[in-house]
Amino acid sequence: MNIWDATFWRTLVWRGGVGAVFAVVLLPMVAVVWLSFFNQEIASFPPDGYTWRWYVNAWDQKQFARGFINSLQLAAIATVIGVTAGTAAAVALVRGRFPGRTALSGLLLGPLAVPGVVLGTGLYVFFVQIDNAIDFQIVATLPGLIAAHVLLTIPWTVRLVSASLLGVTASVEEAAANLGARPFTVFRRVTLPMMRAGVVAAALFSFIQSFENLELTLLLVGPGRSTLPVEMLNYLNFRVDPTLAAVAAVQIVLIGALMLITDRFVSLSKVVS
Amino acid sequence: MPLLLLPAALLVCVMMMAPMVLLFRYSLNLYSPTQLMVEALSPANYLNAVRDPYYRDVLGTTLWVALLCTLLALAAGFPAGYALARMRGRWKAWLTLLTIFPLMVGNVVRAAGWMTLLGNTGMLNAALRGLGLVGEPVQIMYTTGAVVIGIVTVVLPYMILTLASVIESIPRSVEEAAANMGARPFTVFRRVVFPLSLPGVVAGSALVFILCMNAYATPVLLGGSQFKMMAPAVYDQFVRTTNWPFGAALAFILLFVTLGLTMAGSALLQRRYRG
Repeated sequence: MNIWDATFWRTLVWRGGVGAVFAVVLLPMVAVVWLSFFNQEIASFPPDGYTWRWYVNAWDQKQFARGFINSLQLAAIATVIGVTAGTAAAVALVRGRFPGRTALSGLLLGPLAVPGVVLGTGLYVFFVQIDNAIDFQIVATLPGLIAAHVLLTIPWTVRLVSASLLGVTASVEEAAANLGARPFTVFRRVTLPMMRAGVVAAALFSFIQSFENLELTLLLVGPGRSTLPVEMLNYLNFRVDPTLAAVAAVQIVLIGALMLITDRFVSLSKVVS
Repeated sequence: MPLLLLPAALLVCVMMMAPMVLLFRYSLNLYSPTQLMVEALSPANYLNAVRDPYYRDVLGTTLWVALLCTLLALAAGFPAGYALARMRGRWKAWLTLLTIFPLMVGNVVRAAGWMTLLGNTGMLNAALRGLGLVGEPVQIMYTTGAVVIGIVTVVLPYMILTLASVIESIPRSVEEAAANMGARPFTVFRRVVFPLSLPGVVAGSALVFILCMNAYATPVLLGGSQFKMMAPAVYDQFVRTTNWPFGAALAFILLFVTLGLTMAGSALLQRRYRG
């Protein structure tokens, strides 16, 4: 390592620059986790000392505890519905031979392409219209939120499951069928195990997309039926403090854990690119 | 087989197409303070939005913030994407995970992180004062700068992943050939790597530009109530002023302007580098 060599400095500047880009992206998450342990109640640096008490305090704040439970429930139900419907659709799109498949796959990926603001306000006026037409409340109810969030989970599922199905040839399925397996048996014993990785990844991505969604949710929540991101947004309009940082830190750890668990089953770096 | 598609296709049709059609229909209605909405087929909301200096200003701010953030994300994302693409083995897997991770964490959480860093008693001001660089805290929160920093870091992972997947497909030998023939590193980048990664540059910039134009949580939290971009302005029409037809028109102006500029920009970039 010769410090008078231009290559040394070039490598140093290059690595430092690339490292800085990744660091800036990760910095806010590190900062918020750090803040959640500060002893003082106001977000000021440096810390007086460290404590766990803001985590307890956050759970004692009804809006955060309820928002957390609502978000978990919502994301779980939306994921189950969306991944089931999306997986079935992906199988049909990849293995089926019928006209209009390209258009249909475009339709199913559509919710990813439409900006959240447009879709969020559109869903709101749509639900209000139905509310008025049939005198049955959808806005600010769990079914309304689930219907909106399923929309987020379908494109991810179709994309990830299709990718995993394209990776295996259909000849294995044909072999099973030739050996006398019925269509359902072929699906259960051959197709499903082969696309398991894609389904697991789809479930994870769907869950997180739903759990963290703000734009589609914002207009559809109501009193007592709010989600964690919306509660956080309302709180942050006034201040940021260690209690809110604790709520954020819990999400960061939860998402990190979910990703690491999934990565053991499916290599996420292969799923995404 | 096509029957398997039915549930998903039906869901998307009803929950995506119907709301969009309805929202567009609303944008042609008229607003009345007493009845809220009067049925009509009028372009008045679109014309009012374009004529009103306030909303012209909001659209202008949105456009230049989105453009600036896209350029910054491209400038910072290219080296990062290149580094990720050229990595091997375990390190690459870990760095990819670290790039996807922020995407999964919601924008509200990340905005909260920037609020703790950029506030008057935040980490950055504490560091600046500790180093004796400033006496009084510098106002960073609730400025355009804070919004730009926030949005750029939100969209950067998308840019990095898109660029990396394209750069991966460029054989290393092409770069080595250029270097062996005497090209300096910057020339290799300008004449070889950048032109070959153009599909990634176009795709990444288009995706990121769309995300920037529609940013909601970041401008609301880091820009404060004085700073207005289109997405928060649309929601305000529904929550605060209940002028739905006008809000619907604003939403579609945002959608059309974004799509139009994205397509024009992609076409221009591709044509420029093909020749």
